[in-house]
Amino acid sequence: MLIEATFFATLTAAMVVFMAPSRYAGKLATLLSVVPLGTSLYMWFTFDGSGNALLESGDIAFETTLSWLELGPYQLQWHVGVDGVSMPLLVLTTILTTLALISSWTPIDERESQFYGLMLLMEASLIGVFTALDFFLWFVFWEGVLIPMYFLIGVWGGPRRKYASIKFLVYTNVASLVMFIGLFGLVFGLGDSLTTLGLPEIAQGVRGGDLGSFAGLDPEALKAAAFLAMFAGFAVKVPVVPFHTWLPDAHVEAPTPVSVILAGVLLKMGTYALLRFNFTMLADVARDYAEIIAIFGVLSVIYGAMLALAQRDLKRIVAYSSISSMGYVILGLVAFTPHGFGGATFQMISHGLISGLMFMVVGVIYNTTHTRMVGDMSGMADKMPWTVGIFIAAAFGYMGLPLMSGFAGEVLVFIGAFHSTVIPGAPVYTAIAMFGIVIVAGYLLWAMQRTLFGPFKLETDYEVGPAAFHDVAPLVVLLLLVILLGVAPDIAYEMIQDAINPLLGGGA
Amino acid sequence: MAEHLVFELAPAIAGLPFLAFLIALFFGKYMPKKGALAGIAAAAGSLVLAVWTAATLFGGAEPYHTHIYDFVLGAEGVGGVDLSFGILIDPLSALMLVIVTLISTLIQIHSLGYMNDDGQTGLPRYYAELGLFTFSMLAFVYSDNLLMAFMFFELVGLCSYLLIGFWFRDEGPPSGAKKAFLVTRFGDYFFLIGVVAVFATFGTTAFVGEDSFVVMAEHALADGATEHITTYLGLDVQQWFTVIGLLVLGGVVGKSAQFPLHTWLPDAMEGPTPVSALIHAATMVAAGVYLVARMYGFYALSPTALGVIALIGGFTALFAATMAVVKQEIKQVLAYSTISQYGYMMLALGGGAYTAAVFHLTTHAVFKALLFLGAGSVIIAMHHDENMWNMGGLKDDMRVTYLTFLAGSLALAGIFPFAGFWSKDEVLYETLIHGLAGSPLLLVGYAFGLLSVFVTGFYTFRMVLLTFHGNPRSDAARDPASLRWNTKLPVAVLGIGAATIGFINMKPVEELAGTHLTFLHDWLAIGTVGEESEFAALTTEHYHHILFADYGAGYSAADLGPLIPAVVSLGLALAGVGAAWVLYSDPDPVPQTKKLGSVRTLLMNNYYQDEFQVWLARGVTVPVAKAADTFDQSIIDGVVNGVGSVSLFSGERFRRIQTGVVSNYATLLTLGLTLLLVVFGLVGGWF
Repeated sequence: MLIEATFFATLTAAMVVFMAPSRYAGKLATLLSVVPLGTSLYMWFTFDGSGNALLESGDIAFETTLSWLELGPYQLQWHVGVDGVSMPLLVLTTILTTLALISSWTPIDERESQFYGLMLLMEASLIGVFTALDFFLWFVFWEGVLIPMYFLIGVWGGPRRKYASIKFLVYTNVASLVMFIGLFGLVFGLGDSLTTLGLPEIAQGVRGGDLGSFAGLDPEALKAAAFLAMFAGFAVKVPVVPFHTWLPDAHVEAPTPVSVILAGVLLKMGTYALLRFNFTMLADVARDYAEIIAIFGVLSVIYGAMLALAQRDLKRIVAYSSISSMGYVILGLVAFTPHGFGGATFQMISHGLISGLMFMVVGVIYNTTHTRMVGDMSGMADKMPWTVGIFIAAAFGYMGLPLMSGFAGEVLVFIGAFHSTVIPGAPVYTAIAMFGIVIVAGYLLWAMQRTLFGPFKLETDYEVGPAAFHDVAPLVVLLLLVILLGVAPDIAYEMIQDAINPLLGGGA
Repeated sequence: MAEHLVFELAPAIAGLPFLAFLIALFFGKYMPKKGALAGIAAAAGSLVLAVWTAATLFGGAEPYHTHIYDFVLGAEGVGGVDLSFGILIDPLSALMLVIVTLISTLIQIHSLGYMNDDGQTGLPRYYAELGLFTFSMLAFVYSDNLLMAFMFFELVGLCSYLLIGFWFRDEGPPSGAKKAFLVTRFGDYFFLIGVVAVFATFGTTAFVGEDSFVVMAEHALADGATEHITTYLGLDVQQWFTVIGLLVLGGVVGKSAQFPLHTWLPDAMEGPTPVSALIHAATMVAAGVYLVARMYGFYALSPTALGVIALIGGFTALFAATMAVVKQEIKQVLAYSTISQYGYMMLALGGGAYTAAVFHLTTHAVFKALLFLGAGSVIIAMHHDENMWNMGGLKDDMRVTYLTFLAGSLALAGIFPFAGFWSKDEVLYETLIHGLAGSPLLLVGYAFGLLSVFVTGFYTFRMVLLTFHGNPRSDAARDPASLRWNTKLPVAVLGIGAATIGFINMKPVEELAGTHLTFLHDWLAIGTVGEESEFAALTTEHYHHILFADYGAGYSAADLGPLIPAVVSLGLALAGVGAAWVLYSDPDPVPQTKKLGSVRTLLMNNYYQDEFQVWLARGVTVPVAKAADTFDQSIIDGVVNGVGSVSLFSGERFRRIQTGVVSNYATLLTLGLTLLLVVFGLVGGWF
């Protein structure tokens, strides 16, 4: 019942905030968001699940199954539950949302009740995405995330917000459709053996060899086609190069708190779904195409980093570097090794925290300077010492400094990918991808040198001084979490490993 | 195994400076001396513990190894690997702990004079970063596995970045800091591949024990025990070990500022001088060479890797020494001398002279810290003018500084009986006898090393003469600021060290004296006593065994006494000093290097190495990135916009549609999905 409590508390909070007066909306939304944060943390500490939620390998934690309605031969269910992969993502969502809400207090100054309501609505959908175990339910939440996001960018965004929000919506929706078709190929292929649209049932059916022919495709071809469709669909979300161009536009136009959620949680929907669908349901197809997928991963890492290097806008730099970081996740997933899967999942959490932190800290500086352009300002360290200190720490976190979570995620991915047996030439691909750690240092150090250090220079009529306490506090919380996970990765890694191992146990 | 209290306290050796970091960072501004006292107390406490630890080992205790913390526990049964932290205290790490804590204590005392008395701001940050720096280095030194070593190696890099860029309000320091981190990061990239490769190959990165990668590698080559070893890329075991060794070496070359990644070190002079002393003598730069010594059992297996190390080292020694000849700023001369001296250590490691390498690391730490602190004193006296051509005649007003600086210079130049003479001579001697016995690569390295002895003598005394002798050439030099005890005490301690520390290993005179005088060698052999001990594989005796074994480097030693090579290198050093005397002892010296013409221009520009690397970054990487960006914006995004006709919405037409209509899209979206479901339902025969 805790998942339901978390979900409905968020949904209720969203409704309440929509109706609240704008003056109080921010504080009220933050206060109400503490409820799902609290329940999800309680779930974390009482988590007793084991094994992978999609495979018959253990107990799904906080599971509820209720019959909902019948659709033809299929029983649609309210089926929710979490395992070691979704639990950390759920907590990531609730933590980041609360912090993002606090960080909205300063920059958001119009239509507050709608803004905060939409943020909470998005949180509710995200909770649904990470907990739903029925495809229909999952898909409703998956699509449900897009609508608040569309408005949040389109209404509160920057000058080109219309273009960015429409691009985001159309691009990700087309991707959803492609993915949807792929999944239903599998559903129909399974034929009568399937009585619900439950993700575990579909996964076990496909892995168990119950797949028949559909639409003139034999089971193997059907699997390959479904894999391709779903991969393409999710690749947009991650995003994998070359499906990434919606991302920088969306980020640059989105207000800071929305960027935090977009980079911190929304991108993880893509890799989470890849893990659940492509690498769990269709693991054998993924093994066959491992090398090609690995190349996409490596390409995302290097190409994304090179694009980041070419940017002058701090937010664009962070946006492109997300593409690079998510490339590591792809490389880790496709390696089919314990640390590959585990490191990739850990990297999702870690990148969620670090990119959230980076966007927030850039936002705090922007609130003061009203510019994000490298070259328009310098010597910020003199004016905002604590904010800049956190900026430096966050940037080093992004560069994968040891004892911060980024290092743990990346090094686990590298170890996992290096000795992969499904990718021919794995050491070479891994070594190429690892060059990302040099490029990321290049552009972040360069941007820091130009903006934070040197004599203070900024053309502005605004008063430039230290940020407000409530702007800095979320940064401190995130930084502490990044360090905590960096010093003791096992806090999350243990449960992740537990959920990952069944994927490698039997071989599909 | 007897339990020793001090080993139980070992975590505190690194822990105390970390505590000082937190105290200075958060409470420093409320404290007298702005956090300096916390830093000094912590470093001194660590020094006491380190000395106690070393004394315990000296008293016959077994080396100590303990596991302290699991960073990541591998999954059971499916081939995961454990990532853990542990402490390894053997003679090598104990010696290094003493060096690091000693230097750290002294430079923090010196900082009271250099920073506090000078009225600098940001002192809590300064002492906090020094604490973190000391902590990172100490944790690196007693790491019991390669991954932990890498992690703290990186943190050492972070601290150098922060401290080099301490004066962030100027343009120079942030730039130097960026360069230091970026260039060493480039080396660490290869190091990290090496770490990952070690994991993938051996399933462990431990330094010590039967299951350590070092011992597994030795068994694989000696006994063919390769069942737990996976090699990659179709290479055989020895080739693959060489590849791993060279990858890890990337990090060493970066941190120890060896050619071609030496370019960051001179720019790192932008940091406060005590920081330079710490970086050069005991922490950042020392970390690279120390790493090779730490896993020497692995390197000793690969003659190719050793050859590369020796060549890089020998070449760097000479290459950097030549650049030091023309520098005008006292700290620049010292910076290039550091690069050159670490070249000697690399030469020693490659040449199979493990003891000599550790010896030179030790003596260099003492005399280089001394020289930097001496230079720091001079810089204070000169009101932060670092140009030697504005100095002159300082020896009369700065007696203590002059005498100690002279001791350091004699040590650096390798003049008998100062510290550098003993260690540098042993490096050259061991390389020579191994080279003569059939390793021509080592002879090339030796030749480089020998030549640079002359150059070293020359540039060192050019520096001494220009700084302290002759007539003062500026107002500041005529009336230098006075110094307090806090700058004099550290240099006095180090000055005594520079004069005497060479006596710990007097190889050349051993034969003459007829008694045993190589104490450092004995020290590094502790652990051999119990042959079954896991620490036996970490002793200089064992390394010697591998170096001379068929499955290892296959070295052998020519029959040549240590005396003649010692006389040769001393003669060259004296010749270098003499040449400097001839050219610069005039009361009003002239810039003699101008006579070198275009060679001087080349040297002043550091062989255009910086230009080359800056060109690689700005001339190659940035244009490629810009091209990628253009490609991305026009081609990839162009296709997206074209296909999706998003441009239609974003164009004029969209602007006319107001937000109210936006909800229509949401409606359309929902309708579309419903429709899709219905269609699928019909196809699937649900209804």
